Amino acid sequence: MLIDATILFQIAGIGIITALIHTVLKQVGKEDIAQFVSLVGFIIVLVIVIHHLSDLFQQIKSVFLLQGL
Amino acid sequence: MWKKYYFEYGEKTMKWIGAILLVSTTSWIGFDMSKKLTERPKQIRLLIQSLQMLETEMGYSQLTLQQTFQNISKKVPYPLDQFYERLAHKLSGIVIDFLTIWDEELSKFVQTSALKQTEHEVMKQFGRNLGQHTFLQQQKYIKLTIHHLQRELDDAMEERRKYEKMMKSLGVLIGLLIVLLLF
Repeated sequence: MLIDATILFQIAGIGIITALIHTVLKQVGKEDIAQFVSLVGFIIVLVIVIHHLSDLFQQIKSVFLLQGL
Repeated sequence: MWKKYYFEYGEKTMKWIGAILLVSTTSWIGFDMSKKLTERPKQIRLLIQSLQMLETEMGYSQLTLQQTFQNISKKVPYPLDQFYERLAHKLSGIVIDFLTIWDEELSKFVQTSALKQTEHEVMKQFGRNLGQHTFLQQQKYIKLTIHHLQRELDDAMEERRKYEKMMKSLGVLIGLLIVLLLF
């Protein structure tokens, strides 16, 4: 089974870049903004993941005929 | 068949072009901001130098303000020479109020330069006292203004040391982040 791997790379990339921005801001001494950026990155990734998880649950529902799909 | 392929190909290319445009734009904004941070101490230093020139010109050659500005405009580099040049030009006509001319030209100059509001205020204050007093008092005011600008210069240097690199890397990184989000 071949699944689309783009999503994995996208999430990994967002993680790496958020970490880099965090490091840069921390070096300059803006700890509060650095924390905020990390939080925002986390929330973005969370939204993407939840979006796909809801897809998964829909699939499961339709497999077990809980919904008239 | 090939039409479908062509569409897909075009879509992908457009995506990449958009990504490159986005990253280059945000990088450019970052570089521009860091350039402004680099320019500010330089321009404050030039301003101080020009004030010192003004002081010596006033002390030794005793010309009118218009001629003094003309002389200074020939000796200083780009953004500042325009300022003095325009001042001299405006003073060569009929002058009703020197203060309004000074304020007007000063705000024009600050807009084109990398200077901030604090330097603008210091120079505005300086304009209030220019040509109102005897030479000795005038000299004191010039010294005071130079002192203020010196403090601003230290401030600008500190800011530059801190944020110059950050602006560059943040520009590129934020561009990449946006591209990844939209991809």
